[in-house]
Amino acid sequence: MQPITRLFFASALLVCTTAALGANADTQAREQWHGAIQNGYESLATKTEQLASAAVGYCNAPTSDSRPALNDAWLDAFLAWQRVRFVDFGPMENNNLSWQFQFWPDPKNLVARKARYLLGTEAPVNAEVINQSGVAVQGFPMAEYLLFDEQLNSGENALPAAKNCEVLSAVTRHMARNARGLADSWASFKQHYLDTGPYRDTTIKAGMTALEILEERRLAQPMGLRGNGKRNPYITDAWRSGQSLMAVEATVAGLEKFYLPGLITSLKTDGETELAERIQRQFEKVADNFPEAHAAMATLMESDERFRILQGLFVDVSQLSTLINDEAAVALGVVRGFNSSDGD
Amino acid sequence: MLIHRRTLIKATVAGGMAATFTGCSLLPRKTGPQPERYAGAVGLPDGRFGVSAFDRSGNVQWQAPVDTRCHSGCNRPGRKDTLFFERRPGWSFYVFDAETGQRRHRIMAPEGEHFVGHGVFSPDGRWLYATASRYQPGEGIVAVYDAEQDYKRVDTFELAGIGPHELTLHPDGNTLVIGLGGILTHPDYDRIKLNLDTMQPALILMDRRSGQIVGRFAPAHHQQSSRHVSVSTEGKVYVAYQYQGPLYERPPLLARIEDGQLREYRFDPETQAALGNYIASVVAHPENDLIAAASPVGGTAIVFRGKTGELVAKARITDCAGIQTLAGGDFLVSSGQGRLVQLSAGQAAKDIARLPVQWDHHLV
Repeated sequence: MQPITRLFFASALLVCTTAALGANADTQAREQWHGAIQNGYESLATKTEQLASAAVGYCNAPTSDSRPALNDAWLDAFLAWQRVRFVDFGPMENNNLSWQFQFWPDPKNLVARKARYLLGTEAPVNAEVINQSGVAVQGFPMAEYLLFDEQLNSGENALPAAKNCEVLSAVTRHMARNARGLADSWASFKQHYLDTGPYRDTTIKAGMTALEILEERRLAQPMGLRGNGKRNPYITDAWRSGQSLMAVEATVAGLEKFYLPGLITSLKTDGETELAERIQRQFEKVADNFPEAHAAMATLMESDERFRILQGLFVDVSQLSTLINDEAAVALGVVRGFNSSDGD
Repeated sequence: MLIHRRTLIKATVAGGMAATFTGCSLLPRKTGPQPERYAGAVGLPDGRFGVSAFDRSGNVQWQAPVDTRCHSGCNRPGRKDTLFFERRPGWSFYVFDAETGQRRHRIMAPEGEHFVGHGVFSPDGRWLYATASRYQPGEGIVAVYDAEQDYKRVDTFELAGIGPHELTLHPDGNTLVIGLGGILTHPDYDRIKLNLDTMQPALILMDRRSGQIVGRFAPAHHQQSSRHVSVSTEGKVYVAYQYQGPLYERPPLLARIEDGQLREYRFDPETQAALGNYIASVVAHPENDLIAAASPVGGTAIVFRGKTGELVAKARITDCAGIQTLAGGDFLVSSGQGRLVQLSAGQAAKDIARLPVQWDHHLV
């Protein structure tokens, strides 16, 4: 064989091998993501089932012990949701499931308006009513309102009032059914997910979007770092239960557990081992803000000294967001565009 | 090289507001009697929104601030009005002086309605037709305005369906061609799609004088949301879909009316995949049988022949969306990264210029 031909064949072979390696690594990353997210969804199914049972248990026999257990069951399920909240594709897209689990933001306070309406109806609030009532009724914010809203829980409809129990039971049952269905659908979705190359970018973008929402809408905006500069803890999620920052911690932990392993595989395949390690370390830095930052966001806004805890968390989340949304995304050739994320 | 939004913003702030040309010094000329300038809704480097017009030398002719992000617009025939509609749910549209960018009017949607981003004029420039939605009952309408009376609302045509989007005028001068996406949304619920199981998208033909629906065509699958439309000079009507089913399904995304029904175009599997189940704009060229379509989701723009469906150009353009027809038979595609790329049949795509804005969907 002539040297030039040999060279051609050798380089063609190299290209083929590299391409095959890349394809294998993509599949491997998707396998990691699929398995990890399956675990997250199973946990959500278990925790929401426990919440639904706790609601029935408390309402059947309300005691001073069972009430904190019910509140804890809501929080456990809510945090399980926060850990998988970044997944915005696949079965989650069916029937607006994501919105059903968490209708947010809610600038018009639809959750409270819908709750007042349901609590005021004489007709029974059953599964069918919840099915027909729209996403503001069907998930964690509604259950949180029924459990934690101060005004509601100092009035005649406070738990364990029969009507509140009826609505809470129906809502939590709806959530448990959705979560079970989601976990099962995700399992059935596996082959499509592994066979469809573009799901790599879709998955990477899901984490990027979650980080942007976390940085901008769940931290910067309520902290007054954007817009009119006013601090407002009520525009973030889970303010009624004071668990906004627990939720932030869970979202980051979920990204680390269910998203990062596949991302690291992709980065290392592209020779970005050092960047993968920096991202790993930044996750740890965010986690180090807790448990100090476990307080209600409103509490941390009361003094400049406490606000500094929030600022520290924001800076670390922001750096994590930059590492993934700028550096990793560019390294992996993933771009979320002005138009591509628009939907028109 | 791929440039992330933040990097782009830093670069554009440093670089000032003018185009960077690649291998030429003028933007290409548009087809027909259109104005020489290129106008589009834009996202600005500081996060605000505007409407921007560039002349063919790539200099900013004007830039007008707007309160919220705009989507598309139209030029008023025979007059110097350039209109832009706010992005869905749009509470208003703006009327600018096409030469100076001075805001002449801001027309608010009546209570209970919102615009959806598109409008078109009658050939004499008097009547403006804008797609809109009565959002409580979820009814799609065409709102009619009289430009001679400072854009007074004068009529409303019913579409008997949900979610109208782009509309254009047939070369017969009388028929409105309307994409009915079929997706129910409500401003209280952000942009949540409320009826994906029961959507009824359609391509609608409407008599612009009477408001009577004279043709209604349903895509093969109920989740082929029919959002964007175009008509060739010979009156061939094209529609582009945004498929609402899962990504692993690859249904056709483009179709045209032929023999009283929708003929779908399906390309090779690689091209179908590259279009990401989402077309943001479709444009038929007035000088030939070529059609261009752009997918920002797939980062791909294509050109194909209307008659045969043959694919004649394909280019990877990150976040591409806007399409303009050029004199001579080519297309110009704009992207959310400010790129302007020329597409010609049978030739490689040519980068023409880079402008320091994020072009929103449609060029005007």
